[in-house]
Amino acid sequence: MTAVMIDSERLGEVEIDESSLIEFPAGIIGFPELRRYAMVAAEASGLYSWLQSVDDPDLAFLAVVPGPFFPDYAPSINDDECDAIGLSDPQDAQLLCLVTVGDETVTANLLGPVVLNVRNRLARQVVLTDSSLSTRAPIVAV
Amino acid sequence: MLILSRRLNESIVIGDEVVVTVLEVRGDQVRLGIRAPRSVTVHREEVQREIMEQNRAAAAAAPSVAELPKLPLPSSPD
Repeated sequence: MTAVMIDSERLGEVEIDESSLIEFPAGIIGFPELRRYAMVAAEASGLYSWLQSVDDPDLAFLAVVPGPFFPDYAPSINDDECDAIGLSDPQDAQLLCLVTVGDETVTANLLGPVVLNVRNRLARQVVLTDSSLSTRAPIVAV
Repeated sequence: MLILSRRLNESIVIGDEVVVTVLEVRGDQVRLGIRAPRSVTVHREEVQREIMEQNRAAAAAAPSVAELPKLPLPSSPD
């Protein structure tokens, strides 16, 4: 299998290359049964991606690379979370924050980032313990 | 709700693979150790609930490609 066709509620009919597939062994929190997602660029810069559920075409999340918008954001991920996705080298880790699109603002969930192991394409939504982090941090053009 | 009493260093087993052990009892705080397979997440209840609610809100609010608003971007190119 090199490509999967999805008729996505948000992306329309889209062909997903296997190389864009990521797997959440524990699902995304609140959606534990849905494990497979396709990561598709949402706009030209590549900072925003869709995480389109392969198993449920109606479910998609918008995600953002937090670094450029939140330069001080450097969460530490504990060993158990890393083990769950086979992550041993920090260079293999890609952070993504789930985005909520509101009427006026676009916000990022900094308290529960997604950690992607770019080497094996396994991912996990991690719950951080720093209670000062927001689930709705406004994303502002910098 | 199943109610069990445990002493320090005793455990309970949930299903076949999840083990919860009482590691320390200090005042009104209990320190628990949890062993679980990687397909099972374990989080503090109130934080999980907050994350789950935000995930659901994000999923519900996700626009279609056609309706995607202009997303904030870093302005200066490298």
